[in-house]
Amino acid sequence: MEFNDNYPQYEKMSNHDEAYGKKSRRTLWNVFWIMLAITIFELIIGSMAPGHGWSGTLWLKVLFIGLTLVKAAAIVLWFMHLGHEVKFFKYIVLVPYFVFMAYAIFIILTEGTYAGKPTNVTRVDPLFIKQQLDLKAGHHGGGGAEHHEAEGEHKTETHSEEHH
Amino acid sequence: MSHSVEVSTKEAWDGGVSPFKVSYGKMMMWFFLISDALTFGGLLMSYGFIRHKYADVWPKAEHVFTHFPFVQQHLPLAYVGLMTFILIMSSVTMVLAVEAGHRMDRRGVTVWMFWTIIGGAMFVGSQAWEWYHFIVGTEEGALRNVWDMGKQAYVQQIYHGATMVTNEYGVPQFANYFFFITGFHGTHVFSGVVINFIIFMNVLKGTYEKRGHYEMVEKVGLYWHFVDLVWVFVFTFFYLL
Repeated sequence: MEFNDNYPQYEKMSNHDEAYGKKSRRTLWNVFWIMLAITIFELIIGSMAPGHGWSGTLWLKVLFIGLTLVKAAAIVLWFMHLGHEVKFFKYIVLVPYFVFMAYAIFIILTEGTYAGKPTNVTRVDPLFIKQQLDLKAGHHGGGGAEHHEAEGEHKTETHSEEHH
Repeated sequence: MSHSVEVSTKEAWDGGVSPFKVSYGKMMMWFFLISDALTFGGLLMSYGFIRHKYADVWPKAEHVFTHFPFVQQHLPLAYVGLMTFILIMSSVTMVLAVEAGHRMDRRGVTVWMFWTIIGGAMFVGSQAWEWYHFIVGTEEGALRNVWDMGKQAYVQQIYHGATMVTNEYGVPQFANYFFFITGFHGTHVFSGVVINFIIFMNVLKGTYEKRGHYEMVEKVGLYWHFVDLVWVFVFTFFYLL
């Protein structure tokens, strides 16, 4: 490991010439197009969601998280230029966060089941449950609140558009 | 210690050399970003727990965020998609400003910084718009048990929009996390725009031209990309999943 380096002005080290700049600009635009494509793909899938949402679909969740990690890696490695830093510096930035993420995933997978099961652990207003059931049955408006019509006691015809 | 050491220990501890070959300011910016990322990570984790706990009654983002400016139809997630596009775009203009700075191209830095600030301001404005529609709510509203101060009891009534106590979309925690996570991120974007603007003024004044390097642009660039990075995660965990 080289300890002594001969760069008293680290700020100027990263300056580069026109030829290098042209090459790096091309890389950056490519990264951008890939990120844009991923985002558009996610949005198309997201907006194609059925009435009950995608939330029950495990493989799609995994796909979305995976694509998010791809985008995050692109930002950190190319936009934030971490891929070009000294190896040790790279690890000093990334390792603490990966340790944290590993812990987060571990604790969510273990303690998440403890926090879960809403109906028998936590008292939830029945109105919320009814609203979500109605939404899953296909009644969804802007705020997803058509259920009071189904109850029949509130005949407020304030909105005319009904769509599924 | 078999390595050849050209510097004496005393000399090394006196400073002046960096084993990481980065300047002090840039390294500290990275360390700050790590701590900030831990904060956001903690927020998203707690969001995950609460969402799992109330999984059955948690509203779907496709049902809530359906508005789009000047359009009457419900377009689920279209607006947040536009916001994401604006922020990614401003991240690209930022990285191009940094690249221009490395070539000491003052004009390039000026132009790309300018577009970055415009993009950031547009994003903050979009978020304000989204908050407005979230708080005001829909015309139809939803049935809620609302606390009546006069009667000192809960009264069932149609409730519109959202506050920290009640909202028409689902459990109160949904609005709480929406306000807190997007609010915390929006604060970062706003401060990023302000910092970008200060650096932009310095670029115009020629401060970095005199200094011989545009590292300040690179440092605020790091912060700005971090803001984009956080949004990528907020977008996935709050809107997509």
